[in-house]
Formats: sequence, C-alpha cells, structure tokens
Amino acid sequence: MLICGIEYLRVMNNLLTFLNQFIKVSPEEFAELIAWTEPRQFEKKTILTKPGEVEEYMYFITSGLVRKYFLKKDQEIITHIVKEGGILGSGESFLTGEPSRYFVETLEPTTAFAISRYKLEEMYGSSKKWEKLGRVITTQYFLVQEIRLMDNIRFSTRERFVKFMKENTDLIQRVPQKYLASYLNIKPETFSRLKHLMNPK
Amino acid sequence: MTNLIDINPSLIEYAHRYLQRFMTITIDELKMLLSYCEVRQVEKRTILVKEGEVDNYLNMVVKGLIMKYVRVKKSDMILQLATEGHVIHSEISFLTRTPSMVFVETLEPTIMVSLTYDKMEEALDKFPQGERLGRLILTGMYVKKEESRYYRLLKSPRERFLDYLNAHPHMLQRVPQKYLASYLNIKPETFSRMKHLVAKQ
Repeated sequence: MLICGIEYLRVMNNLLTFLNQFIKVSPEEFAELIAWTEPRQFEKKTILTKPGEVEEYMYFITSGLVRKYFLKKDQEIITHIVKEGGILGSGESFLTGEPSRYFVETLEPTTAFAISRYKLEEMYGSSKKWEKLGRVITTQYFLVQEIRLMDNIRFSTRERFVKFMKENTDLIQRVPQKYLASYLNIKPETFSRLKHLMNPK
Repeated sequence: MTNLIDINPSLIEYAHRYLQRFMTITIDELKMLLSYCEVRQVEKRTILVKEGEVDNYLNMVVKGLIMKYVRVKKSDMILQLATEGHVIHSEISFLTRTPSMVFVETLEPTIMVSLTYDKMEEALDKFPQGERLGRLILTGMYVKKEESRYYRLLKSPRERFLDYLNAHPHMLQRVPQKYLASYLNIKPETFSRMKHLVAKQ
C-alpha cells in the first residue's frame, strides 16, 4: 500500500468529498468504487503521457501537482495545472481512444487514484448509478473547461491574473512563474509586472 | 400533439444521424426520445436567449442557422455557428441553471427540435440507457470543444481561415463576413484580404 495512517484517511476523505458534490455514495458503494481504481505514485517531473500515445488513465490526484501541455513549435502551451482534489489526464485521448496531442507531467511527487479506460467502461456497465456518476462528472469537466474559456474571453489579462491568484494562492509558491504565465496565456514579462497586485501594502 | 415527422422529414434523419454517433438507436427509440422534445419555428434574427436569462432549451437545428455570441465591451464575439444537424444552446446556463453569459440568435428562418431542462432530466431517468446516452453526448461535446481550443491555440489565422472555409465553403454565402471573421478570431481586414485564397479554388 502506498499510503497509510492519517494520510490514508485524508486521501479517502478528499475523494469522498469530491464524489459527494455529484452523487450520494454509501460506504459500501465507496469501497466498490475504490476497487475499480488503482493507487499510483510518481516522482516529480514524471511524464505520464506523451503525444502519440493513447491515454490509458484518468487520475484523481490525492497529493501533488500535474500539468497538461502541448508543443507549438518549441513552445510549451500549458492548458491545465491540477492539484490534489482534482482530476487530470489527457481527456480527449482517454475518451476517444485516439493518440494524445498532449503531455501529462507531474510537477511534484504525486499520488493518485487512477482508473483505466477498460475498468471505467466496465464500471459504467455494472450499474446505472455509476453511469450517472460518469455523466455528472463529465458534465462538470465540460463546464470547468467552458467557464475557463468564457473567462478568457470576458476578462482582461489583469482581471484573469487577479482572479486566478485569489482562487489559487498556494500555486504561486508551487508552480514556476513561466508555467503560470503560460497557463493564464499571459506573457512572462506581463506576469512579472502584475505580481505586485498580489501583495497590496 | 403535432406529429413531429410531418413537420419536416429531415428531422428524423438529422436526429437519428446525430444520436447514432453515440450509440445504436432504433427508429422506435428515436421516436420515444423525440416525444420529450418540441419543434420550434422562428423568424431570422430571433434572439432565443439573452445575456442574463437562464437558457431553458437545448436545440438541434433542422433547417436554418443559429449563432451563439458573447458581448465584450459592446462588440460581439461569435462563439458558434450551427447549421442543419448541429446542436446549439447556452451550455453553462442550461446545465447549471444560471443566467447566460451569451446570446443565442437565429441568422436565418429556423426550424429546430428543442428539449427543455426538465424534459431532459425526465428522459435521462426514464429512457432505457438515458444516462449512458447523456454521458456520451456530453463526452462528445467535451471532445469537440477541446479540439477547437487546441486548433485555435495551435494554428495561424491563415490556417484557421483555410481549414474552416475548405470544410464549410457554403458558409461564405450564408453568414455575413464580419461574423465569420469574429468566429475565426481573425481581423475583418485580414479576412477580406484572405478571401482570394478560397475564391480561386
């Protein structure tokens, strides 16, 4: 077992809180759900998925930090940065079975519950409840992406910076600035200039 | 209740083709699903949803053209252009029951099949495999959005212009140029300059 004791309880609690946003899960059902997944653990800077590979897993991150990005010529374009409590993987590849266009890489030592494409299909087929959970999580995943897209359109660079920093104060310590700038689609120079907005004197 | 099939024979065909992308549906099942829907017919330039209103409908275009746009500092940015067989609505508003950030408006006289939120809930629950179909449709929407975002970030304006107009040559006739330019995120002047690239073919 990769995790034990208090850490184990914290992780399980995280996952249960996550699920309860969507659907009521009894202790028995929770145990059943866990059995469909496998705990996985990675060093930092581990590449989980490369372009050209089919994404075999979606990860529920229990600790650590993961990013998803693609290369535009030589430039890394970061589309996701996800910390504990979130879900990440190369979603389109996972869902379609087509090769990934993205890299998925850990930025910190990371632990996760991973579910394989094969197991997920089997789980959906096993009960209407899990099928429903799948539908609501997919909806949620879609909404998060759509809301971010709308934020990018509706808000100025400065507004986006302030909003993100307010909602993710911890990430400024955990993520290299150039990655945050890329994720927010802000030039690194602009990002540096905006930093004073975070510590109002 | 009006017989849906009499209104427009293409209705069944479009709806069937759309749903078959996700799972095998018999004509009887399709008719059962359509019984949750209503057919709406509107003039061109009808605003179906305004910013600030909750969108209560998911629409599939049977005949005509509908656009979705967001008003940013008094200028409109086109987010989607939906023609026959396409699904369009204010997704975030519809799914979360919150005020819409976008407008949905017809550009041509339009006939559409529409599903209200309540009827969707009913269909998810009562239609055999409703949850599964719901999940697969959402998955399809997610994948499509991700792809279009990827191409927007990856491709140059010229590539976006050529890819789109080669795939949808008739849209130059159906949609005012300034809307197409906005949809492709290309300056109107640049769009005009690039028009010779498709005219020659």
